[in-house]
Amino acid sequence: MRQLFRKLRFFLRRDQFERDLEEEIRYHLDRKAEEQIRPEAVLRQFGRVAQVKEESRRMWTSTLWEQFAQDVRYGIRAMTANPLFTAMAVLSLALGIGANTAIFGFLDGILLRDLPVERPGELVVLNWRASDQPKVIHRHSGSRYRDGKHGIASPNYPYPFYRLLRAKQDALSALFAYANMWELNLVAREQADISAGELVSGNYFHDLGVVPAAGRLIVDEDDRAGAPPVAVLSYGYWRKRYLSDPAAVGQVIRINHVPVTIIGVSAPGFFGVNPAADPSVYLPLLSAPRFAPKPAEDERRRFLEKDSYWVEMMGRLRPGVSLIQAQAELAGRFHQYAVSTVTSPKEKDSLPELWLEPGAGGLDSLRRQYSEPLFVLMAMVTLILAIACANIANLLLARATSRRREMAVRLSLGAGRGRVIRQLLTESLLLSVTGAILGLFVALWGIRSITWLLANGQENFTLRASLSWPVLAFTAALAVATGVLFGLAPALQATRVDLTSGLKESQIGTPGRFRRFSLSQALVAAQIAISLILVIAAGLFVRTLSNLHSVQLGFNRENVLIFNMNARQAGYKDAALATVYGDLLDRFGRIPGVRSAGLSQAPLAVGFWNSTGLTIPGASKTLGAGLETCIEPVDPSFLATMQIPILAGRGFQQHDMEAPRVAVVTEQFAGKFFPNENPLGRRIGLGDSKSAADIEIIGIAKTAHYNSIQEQDTPPVAYVPYTQNLDNLGSVFFELRTAGDPLLTINTVRQIVHQEDSTIAVSGVSALAAHIDQTIGKEITFAQLCTCFAVLALVIACVGLYGAIAYAVARRTNEIGIRMALGAERWSIQWMVLRELLTLAASGIAVGLLIAGSTTRFVASFLFGLKHNDPAVLSVSVLLLAATAVAAAYAPARRAARVDPMAALRHE
Amino acid sequence: METRPDIPAGTLYMLILKTLTRRGPLHGYGIAQHIQQTSEDILQVEEGSLYPALQRMLVKGWVTDEWKISENNRRARYYSLTPEGRKQLARELRHFDRVMGAISRVIQEV
Repeated sequence: MRQLFRKLRFFLRRDQFERDLEEEIRYHLDRKAEEQIRPEAVLRQFGRVAQVKEESRRMWTSTLWEQFAQDVRYGIRAMTANPLFTAMAVLSLALGIGANTAIFGFLDGILLRDLPVERPGELVVLNWRASDQPKVIHRHSGSRYRDGKHGIASPNYPYPFYRLLRAKQDALSALFAYANMWELNLVAREQADISAGELVSGNYFHDLGVVPAAGRLIVDEDDRAGAPPVAVLSYGYWRKRYLSDPAAVGQVIRINHVPVTIIGVSAPGFFGVNPAADPSVYLPLLSAPRFAPKPAEDERRRFLEKDSYWVEMMGRLRPGVSLIQAQAELAGRFHQYAVSTVTSPKEKDSLPELWLEPGAGGLDSLRRQYSEPLFVLMAMVTLILAIACANIANLLLARATSRRREMAVRLSLGAGRGRVIRQLLTESLLLSVTGAILGLFVALWGIRSITWLLANGQENFTLRASLSWPVLAFTAALAVATGVLFGLAPALQATRVDLTSGLKESQIGTPGRFRRFSLSQALVAAQIAISLILVIAAGLFVRTLSNLHSVQLGFNRENVLIFNMNARQAGYKDAALATVYGDLLDRFGRIPGVRSAGLSQAPLAVGFWNSTGLTIPGASKTLGAGLETCIEPVDPSFLATMQIPILAGRGFQQHDMEAPRVAVVTEQFAGKFFPNENPLGRRIGLGDSKSAADIEIIGIAKTAHYNSIQEQDTPPVAYVPYTQNLDNLGSVFFELRTAGDPLLTINTVRQIVHQEDSTIAVSGVSALAAHIDQTIGKEITFAQLCTCFAVLALVIACVGLYGAIAYAVARRTNEIGIRMALGAERWSIQWMVLRELLTLAASGIAVGLLIAGSTTRFVASFLFGLKHNDPAVLSVSVLLLAATAVAAAYAPARRAARVDPMAALRHE
Repeated sequence: METRPDIPAGTLYMLILKTLTRRGPLHGYGIAQHIQQTSEDILQVEEGSLYPALQRMLVKGWVTDEWKISENNRRARYYSLTPEGRKQLARELRHFDRVMGAISRVIQEV
């Protein structure tokens, strides 16, 4: 032990050691030279100094290092001596470790990475939560999500509250605000883009500690009402649109038709505070009204309204102040504020309550979206690695048994047991490290393909994974852990040798069964159990996907091109807006290969929702008050384009675009609001309760999915002409039904829009079927990945099973020979082998079923149209596993039956 | 000229340890000198084996080292015996006696 410390000290002070040794030997040689004046001896000195030093140094470093080098050499020899085993082990480890690394790369990307700003550890996010919809909030725009235990949570606050907090900060050393602006129309260098922007307070960049890549960033002077409009470009947008030209600073771009001066470019790698968003431009918060589609006056009001929640905030904790202290102070002030805005006693219930969250990683929207699926995937790849480890452990066990004689020899020659175990572990670590290195390539490929799967065609996919240092460290840890995991048990077993019997023992074991339940059998059973779990998971996800694909949407999604534009942002208003859309629609319809062209405010079944109040004069009292319906503003050819049939009455015609006001309602609508009457010719009112009921129902359309594929109860929908409510007309989607591949018309569409007005941006261009598939991207990804994982698990388990059975047969060749010599039939030998296997498989399957029964409920929320214990999936999985097991064992069983009794007995 | 015999394997440590008990702290050159003189020039310690041996003994904890000014006014590394080294010397001497005794019995057998 003390030797080890001395050696350690040597390592730490190697330079000193070298100098000492050098001086000492020179001293020696000098003295010698003085004595016997022989020049040739002195000349030879230089070479000798190095040699003596080398030898002396070895005294310190030898043993441990040399033994290790020896073990490695020995291990490499063992690996090359058995190339098939090595290849199999390394390959399965590479797959297992690679898959783990890839998924961990994603987890690292969303859970562990800090924002690229100054001292991210100090950042805190201000959220609020409430047990129920807070009545004190009169207007809310932003995000809101269900927070498991606490009900509703949201990051949005009124602007006056931000001013209030900013005026007096005790717990925070900085406080800044921001808000999202989705879908800005950017026109730069005569190219129009639809892109996200971020409104930021004047101190945002300064307090985050972000530096400009060019020009300057937004400061407090820019964030004043009436200040000249300025914008900071994101690094990515600057590179894309301006090819990183520094002369971009000072140029003017048009944002929603407003000229804005570019003052700078933000730092490379900076994406705002929300890892899920990637805004192209940053604008001063108070310039928001300029870009609003609505009258600016409305927009200005939301800066003043004390009950309009929309702005988000982050702060920095003052050094020495804890999160809890800051939370106590800020929550008190927010409570006071919220109470001061209460206008009626009812609003006192469920007041929102401020709560702070650590903000080092930025906002957690990505985390909420992806952490659950990623944890499920992580669990799966861990299981795969476990199977791979069990496999290698099993093969090593088999090998250890055949190396018993070698071990006995080494132990009897005086090698310590610890030394032999160390050597065996070095061998398995060599395997696992080689596997891990190959695994890194698998991971690179995996990250790329999983990103592709998850992004699923989304242009602005922001979840990024890479082989960062933490990920590499994880891989290294995994390599060591797996190496020890699959190496230790076989090593212990191999060295637990009774020397005399071990030396005497022949290659072939003594006749008899396996030990009642050996480690090797347990490993095989475990592999079968784990494979079963993965196969069941794959079955569940594949059925979910096929259920989703077989849902009847009520419209034909094939051969439809869909895209989005917003001419209001390009400066068109009201009647002019309707005209430009009508013009475009005409021209799209005349594109060769386009059968018909339609327009709607939102596409069907991809997550949009637009509902409004409904009044029905003379409706039956049983319906109650406060009726609501979804509406879909469309053009006359929309229903025909989507191939939604009209069941009664008529569809829209061109003259319906002008007054009188009409609507086509769905079957669902008719059944719900007019249960026992004919709705045709009836009048309804849409909007708040004061709106006149002057819309005549002229037709009933077949119900089509409105919001999503998964929706169980399709909401009632009223189709109305898009020209009916010009105030609300803005962004629209065009649907083009084509004869062939819809994507072939994209260029023509872009040309037409460019000719009409080059400042109108076309976005979200895709085939409708693909666009709808994007909404079930998670399910598709799961089905595909899980099928891969299950196949992988089955293959690995098959190899393990085959190896274990083949080995058992080989060991018992002798016994089988005796049995056959005594007259046993071939089939009975075969049965003997298969029976053993079936016992193993049955116990593995039983355990697997038990575990699957209790764990699959964690994925219940990912399933559609079936329960987590779907009997069909379970029974098919069990059959599949049993068949695989028999297939894997068939070859060794046949070989057992073909044993030549004479050869087997002479084998000895 | 008769070649100088090599120092028998394994006995170098013993010779060094013994030298240090005799002469107290001593530098490498001094140790080599002492062995050579005491053996009347028969045993010559090559630096190629002396310094590795001294390092090994440092590892084992049989000797410790210290830099001092030598008799010719230069810095030199002086080695001195530790209690552990003293015990080791006793062990080696015992072992050596037994082996020598045995060898001489074999070769004197008539």
